[in-house]
Amino acid sequence: MPHTEVETMSQSTAVRPVRRRPALAAGRPARGRRNRMQATGWPWILPAVVLVVGLVYYGIGYTGYISTLDWDGVSPTPEHVGAANYAHLLKDPVFWLAVRHTVVFFVVTFAVQTVIGFVFAALMHSTVRLRALYKVVVFMPVVLAPATMAPVFRQFFGVDGQLNWMLRHVGLDSLAQPWLAQSSTALPVIMAITVWQWTGITFILYYAAMSQIEPEILEAARIDGAGNVRSLWSIVWPMCRGTTAAMAMLGVIGALKTFDVPYLVTIGGPNYATEFLGTLIYRVSIPQTHVGYGAALSVTLLVLALAGAIATALRSRKGGRSDV
Amino acid sequence: MSRSSMTRRRRVAAVALSALVATALAACSSGGGSAASNDSATSGDITWWGWTPDIGVAQGYIAAFNKEYPDIKVTFKQLTIDGYNAALRPAIASSDGPDVYNVSAGSANGGVDVYGSGAIDLAPAVEKSLGADWKDKLAPSGITGLSVKDKLVGLSAGSVYSGTVWINKDIFDKLGLEPPTTFDEWKTDCAAIEASGTTCFVQGAGQPAFDMDTFEAIAENVEPGLYVDASQGKAKYTDAKLVKAFTLWKQLFDDKIMQEGALGVQQYPDANNLFMSQKAAMVMMGTWYTQYTRPDAMTSAISAAGVADPKPFTMAPIAFPDMAGTGNVGAMYGDADYGLAVSARSDAKNAATTFALWLGTSKAGQQAVADSLNDIPALKGVQPAWDSIDLVNPEAQKSLLEDMITNAEKSTAPRFATISADMNTAIGSALTSIAEGTATPEEAAATLQTTAESLR
Repeated sequence: MPHTEVETMSQSTAVRPVRRRPALAAGRPARGRRNRMQATGWPWILPAVVLVVGLVYYGIGYTGYISTLDWDGVSPTPEHVGAANYAHLLKDPVFWLAVRHTVVFFVVTFAVQTVIGFVFAALMHSTVRLRALYKVVVFMPVVLAPATMAPVFRQFFGVDGQLNWMLRHVGLDSLAQPWLAQSSTALPVIMAITVWQWTGITFILYYAAMSQIEPEILEAARIDGAGNVRSLWSIVWPMCRGTTAAMAMLGVIGALKTFDVPYLVTIGGPNYATEFLGTLIYRVSIPQTHVGYGAALSVTLLVLALAGAIATALRSRKGGRSDV
Repeated sequence: MSRSSMTRRRRVAAVALSALVATALAACSSGGGSAASNDSATSGDITWWGWTPDIGVAQGYIAAFNKEYPDIKVTFKQLTIDGYNAALRPAIASSDGPDVYNVSAGSANGGVDVYGSGAIDLAPAVEKSLGADWKDKLAPSGITGLSVKDKLVGLSAGSVYSGTVWINKDIFDKLGLEPPTTFDEWKTDCAAIEASGTTCFVQGAGQPAFDMDTFEAIAENVEPGLYVDASQGKAKYTDAKLVKAFTLWKQLFDDKIMQEGALGVQQYPDANNLFMSQKAAMVMMGTWYTQYTRPDAMTSAISAAGVADPKPFTMAPIAFPDMAGTGNVGAMYGDADYGLAVSARSDAKNAATTFALWLGTSKAGQQAVADSLNDIPALKGVQPAWDSIDLVNPEAQKSLLEDMITNAEKSTAPRFATISADMNTAIGSALTSIAEGTATPEEAAATLQTTAESLR
């Protein structure tokens, strides 16, 4: 990195005024006040603590308990089976299929969303006419409920849907096909819908992250002769690392929790081609009434989500240190 | 008021709020206790949950019921088919859940094997109402299918049967076509219909339950009773005749009887909407489709399919064509559409039982069921009052509907009653694999047999 840029960053940090608490400025003993705050603060957060512990952690613990049962969710006499549900899970080909779909789904949607969101955010930071309109257009899918959009996508990707209609009208008849009816195309359709729906969030986060970059840094890069692409790659992209890491973490968790789009558009089919852990848990627990096995899958999903989040956090921290 | 006193009060309020939250959570998890059963049988407020009948039909039943029992207020809550089981499970564990809820046989929605544990035994009440020979007076499928170990969990309102193909007779007449009776005729008709720009046959093959209907029709055509025997472990899915049925199922796709992309289509709403909007000439549906031969119900269904200016058309049931060339045609198979179960946690069990008995065993209730054309009544001898039922095209429809109902009443073959939820999934998976070409009929049959044996 050119020397001037480092200097510019240091200077900009150095001149930033440090905000201090008024109490400290007035010379009051900080420790005593913090203790008092802790003592008086507990009752105020107690309802929230009770609610969180009562609903979330109790729920997790109870799910863990259910995962040791052979139970239909209604019968008063569930049978304890120990870790049998977990053993069954490891031998269940549909579970591994769902895991594979989740991995492919995460890699593809994260990569595509990141590229589109980043490029679009950069474009919106330049002088483009109708910027406000473009922002609305890109962000609009984020606020639309998947349940509302599912029938639209079922129609759009249907055999006589708009996608095939367009392909046929531009002479690409050979590409027209039953997108939702084939195992080979159903998962890419689900990923395309997800990219369409969530790229707006990626764009907004990158847009916000880019707004935090000091203009002087980019100016210095330009003085050093960096063009647009070089500046984006060498200055903007590294400075958005935190955003990328956060989105990777959210992406892992989101991929593991994927349910609404595949359930509403393809019901996990055809032939399990769009089965994810979320749809599998629902199908096993509700229509097939294996609540114990569904709970074991849920616990596994939780563990995978935590592991994925920790792995991405560690990876980003390691990446951040190696940059310094 | 001093500052410290105010702070103390606020703390007390916060702790009280925490206690309230904790109590509420505890109440949620405990689900309440069992309710008393000394309520009146002729008055009270009850709620009824079900995925069927449609809200208008249910309100008609309730209005007829209130002519006899004006002091029992019934509130019907219709849930979606897909969301019913998920909603019902916590509801019947709570005293705040429904007093009456729909159950059905086997692996269908609200299956009695699972949801029956939350219901009372209705057999004593039915015996009191119909006498000791009550079993002879009701359709057997409603009793066997809705009982669990001698406990009558639900009282069947009526049955539904599948095995029929519904056609848009107006399209057939316009093109000068006769309804198909053989596979060759089916292909010829489809070629003509497709040439006119209309989809010939539509099936929501993405919803396996309806695939099973079509497959059972084919299997019954190949060898009557074999599919049911296999579902009960009396025959193997690898039997050559069932493999032949799987092969014929595949032929529906290969010979373009099934519309292109059928595996990506759901029976409801997609296939239903295509038929109702007259974009498809044929659809595999059962006796429940009879309700749409009434102009008002059909107009609503067409409108719900997205047609701006709905105009009723002549739809009629035909027997599934003789694909195998065996001559075994006209098979119908069915179960109780739904039974009314009375929740063991209801605080109005007697009023709820009165309603269930009225709908399932009284002549007035069963006549209302028959006249709705949604179900074939559970009480023997009750027929739709055709003279007072308005049909879209009585001359073309009435005799066909009467024949279908007579044929269905003779049937003893089950639809889902002998198939567990796991086997339901396995059969659906086998049919999808064959249709998609990822498994041959022989491979799918072998996998199915292995699954069936592992589940026994």
